[in-house]
Amino acid sequence: MKKKFPLLLVFVFGILGIIPFLIPHPIVQHSDEYIRNDILRILAAFALVLALGSLLKVHADKIKRKKVNWQYSWVLILAFIVSSIIGLFGGVAGTGLLPTSFGSFNFNIQTLYENIIIPLASSMFALLAFYMASASYRAFRARSSEATLLLVAAFVVMIGFLPVASSISSKLPAFAQWVLNVPNVAGQRGVLFGIALGAVATSLKIILGIERAWLGGGD
Amino acid sequence: MKFIDRLTKIDRRIIYAILALVVILPLVFPSALKVKPMKPVEKLYEAVDNIPEDKALLLDCSYAPQIKAEVEPMAIAVLRHAFGKRKKVLVLALYVQMLGLAQKALTQVTEEFNSKAQTNIDSIIYGRDYVFLGWTPPPLIPMLGMGESITDVYPADYYGNQTDTLELMQYIKNYNNIGILVCLSGSAIPKAWVMYAQNRFGLAVGVGCTAVSGADFYAYYQTGQFSGLMVGMKGAAEYEELVEENLEIKEKRMASEAMLPMTYAHFIIIFFIVIGNIGYFIQRRRK
Amino acid sequence: MTLILLTAIFALAPPGEVRAYDTPSDGGEAITIEWQLSQDDAVLDGYEIYRSEDGVNFERIGLRGPGRQYFEDVTQDGKSYVYKIAAVSKTTKIFSQPSGEAISSPQWIDRNKLNILFAIFIFGGFIMYFMYHARKGKEFFIRKIAGLQAVEDAVGRATEMGKPTLYILGLGYVEEVATIASLNILGEVAKKTAQYNTKLIVPNADPIVYVVAQEIVKESYTKIGRPDAYDPDSVFFLAREQMAYAAGITGIMTREKPATNFLIGYFAAESLVLAETGASTGAIQIAGTDALAQLPFFITACDYTLIGEELYAASAYISKQPLLLGAIKGEDWGKVVIATTLFIASIIGLLTKFPILDLFE
Repeated sequence: MKKKFPLLLVFVFGILGIIPFLIPHPIVQHSDEYIRNDILRILAAFALVLALGSLLKVHADKIKRKKVNWQYSWVLILAFIVSSIIGLFGGVAGTGLLPTSFGSFNFNIQTLYENIIIPLASSMFALLAFYMASASYRAFRARSSEATLLLVAAFVVMIGFLPVASSISSKLPAFAQWVLNVPNVAGQRGVLFGIALGAVATSLKIILGIERAWLGGGD
Repeated sequence: MKFIDRLTKIDRRIIYAILALVVILPLVFPSALKVKPMKPVEKLYEAVDNIPEDKALLLDCSYAPQIKAEVEPMAIAVLRHAFGKRKKVLVLALYVQMLGLAQKALTQVTEEFNSKAQTNIDSIIYGRDYVFLGWTPPPLIPMLGMGESITDVYPADYYGNQTDTLELMQYIKNYNNIGILVCLSGSAIPKAWVMYAQNRFGLAVGVGCTAVSGADFYAYYQTGQFSGLMVGMKGAAEYEELVEENLEIKEKRMASEAMLPMTYAHFIIIFFIVIGNIGYFIQRRRK
Repeated sequence: MTLILLTAIFALAPPGEVRAYDTPSDGGEAITIEWQLSQDDAVLDGYEIYRSEDGVNFERIGLRGPGRQYFEDVTQDGKSYVYKIAAVSKTTKIFSQPSGEAISSPQWIDRNKLNILFAIFIFGGFIMYFMYHARKGKEFFIRKIAGLQAVEDAVGRATEMGKPTLYILGLGYVEEVATIASLNILGEVAKKTAQYNTKLIVPNADPIVYVVAQEIVKESYTKIGRPDAYDPDSVFFLAREQMAYAAGITGIMTREKPATNFLIGYFAAESLVLAETGASTGAIQIAGTDALAQLPFFITACDYTLIGEELYAASAYISKQPLLLGAIKGEDWGKVVIATTLFIASIIGLLTKFPILDLFE
C-alpha cells in the first residue's frame, strides 16, 4: 500500500496533465486551472513553510554546536527576521500595517530588492567574466583532435566578434557567424531531438510506474 | 624547466587580477573604439531611418536591470537616431520593473536634444514628438490590442495624461501608423512580438538583444521576420557608429567605450589559452 | 485626375463574400469571420466589423487593419450571430452583404494537436514494445556513458578522503523533466553514500523539490538498510533567488571542500559560477543538464558532463533495471524514425517540387 498509493496518484495526475492539452472544452480547462492554480498553490505554501523551517533549523543547529563559521549563521537569521517583518507588516511597496518610511527614505521590500538583491545579483553575474577566463585557460588544451577542433572554433568565434576582427581579415566576422549559424545550430538541434524524446519517455516511465527511483528505487 | 610547468598551472588569482586590470583601466580612462557596422545592424538603422513622416517608431524597452549595461546603450542610440531625424516615437515596457529604465533613457536623450535646441521646432516635446505609454499587464494585451487601437490599450500614459488628448495620438491610431517596432530585450519577448503582432497585423519588428540570446535570434533575422538585429554591446556600438557618422550627433557613446575593455578582455583570455597550450606542448614533447 | 479621385472617394468597392463560422478547436465563445478583400483594398484604412443578433440592427465590434480575417471572442455559446464588414477609407464607408448565421460552441477535441497525439502513440508504442521484450528477459545493450560510469568511483573517492559528497539539483521546479531525472539519480547516489557511509549534502532552490529530495534520500538510506545513517539536515532548503542560491553553494564548496560535486538538473547563468568554484576546490565534478546554453560551461569546467538525454537515461544506466533499459531502446527507435523522416523529406524537398513542408504544418 505504501508503494501502490503514490504510484496510483502519479498515474491519475499524470493523465490529468495530458488531457487539457488535447481537449479545449471549458469543463476540462477550468478543472485543470483549479488543480494548477488552487491545489498546487496550497501544496506549495506548505512546502515553503517546511523549506524555511529547514533553513532556520540548519543554521540554528550550526550556532548551537558552534560548527565552523557559525557566526555567519547569525547574519542569515537576522536578515531573515528583518526581511520577514518588513515583508509581512510593511507590504511590498510600503502599503502594509507598519510605517516603513522615514521622511523620504523607504525600507519596504521593493527598496530591499532594488538596493540589495539587484546589485548583489549583478555582481555575481559579473563574476562570470572571471570564471570564464580561468575555465577556458584550464580547459582549452589541444589534448586530442576533438579538443583541438573545439579550441580552433572557440578562437574563431571569439576573435570574429571583436571590433578589430574585420581589420585582421574581412572574411573573419562572416566565418565566425557561419560557425554559430550552421555547425552550432545543427548540433543543438540534434541534442534537442534527443531531449524532446527523452522527456516524453521519462514522463511515460513515471506515469506508468516503471521508473521508481523517486520512491527509493525499483521492485 | 620549472617555468614551463608553471605555464600550465598559472594561479587563477593572477588571471583574475590581470583581467580586472584590463577591464577597469579603459573604463577609468574611456575612449570610444571605432567599429565597422555589420549588415544586421545596418538593416535596423535603415528601417528606422525609412519610417515615413506620418508613421511612428514604437520602442519596447523590455530590459531588466541585470542586462542594463548591454541593452541601455541600444535604447539611447535608437532614440538619438529617431529624434535626430525628427521621427515620432512611442515608448513602452512590457513589465513594470522595466519602466524606470525606459524612463531614464528617454529623459537622458530628450535633455541632450533640448539643451541644444534654439527654437520650439528644434525641441523634442512630449505629446508632439514622443509619448511614453508606460505599461499595461499582461504583455499579450498590448501586443494584440494595439493592432486595433493604441489609446484603448493605454487610456492613460506613464504620467497619467489621457492619451487620446495628446497631439501625436491624433494620427497614430494602431499598427497601421507604426513604421517599425524596435524591441530591446534579453528574453523571448521579440519572438512573442513576431507571433502576435507581426503574424496577425503585419507589424515590422526590429530587435536589440544581449549577446547570449543573440544565438537564438539570428534564425529570425535570416527569415526576414526581424527587419534588423543588433546583438550585444558590439551591436550597440555599431548603431552608435551609424548615428554619429550619419547624423553627426556627438554625445557619450557608452557601448563604443566598452568595446576597448571588451576587446582587451578577449585578448587576455586568448593570451592565457595560448600560453597554457604552449606549456602543454612542451611538457608533452619532453615526455 | 479629379475623376479618379472622385471614384476613389465615392465608389469604394465593398468587401465580398463574408463567411462567419465557429472557431474550430477552441473552448467556445469565439467566432471567426473571413471576407474577400475589397477591390479598393489599396486605398483603404481598414475594415470595420459589425455584428447583429437579430439580423437587422448591427453594432460595430471591432476594427481590422489590412487583412481578411477577424477573430471575435466575446460571443455567447448557442446564440446565433450575423456579421457585416465595412470597407473604410478616410471619407467613406461601404458595407458588405451580411454573412450567414454563425453559432459558437466549445469543442471536445483540439484537431490541431491530433498529430502530436499520434506521434506520442507511435513513440509510446516503441517504448512499450521494447519494455515488453525486456520483461520477457531480452537483454539490451547500452553504450558506455563515462559520466555515469564514474558515479561509483566518485562517491568512493569521497569516502577515502573522508570528505562529503555535494549533490546540486539546480534551479528547476519539480515538474521539469531535468529535475525529475536529477531526483532519480539522487536516489541512486544516496544509496551509494549510504553504502560507503559518506556524508551527503543536498542544498535546494525550490521548496517542493526540497521536500521530494528529502523523502528520496531517506527512502534510499532505508532501502540499503542504514536508516540510522540518514541525517535529516543533509537535505535542506537554501534560497529561491538564483544568485543567492549560487552564492550559498559556493560557500559550502569553499568551506566543506567536498570531494565530489554532482551538478545535475536545470541550470541558468549560475552554472559556471558553481562549476568553476567546484573545480577550484579540487573536487571531481559530474554535471548534467538539458539547458543547452549551459552545456559549454559544464563541459569546460567539469570532469564529466551528461548531455541532454544522457541525463534522462542515467537512472536506467545506474540501476541497470531491464524495463528501464527497454524504454531507452524504444527512445532510440523514435530517433531513428525522426532522422529517417527528416532525411527523406529533405531529399524530396531538394529534388522535387512536391510541397513537402506543408505536411508538417
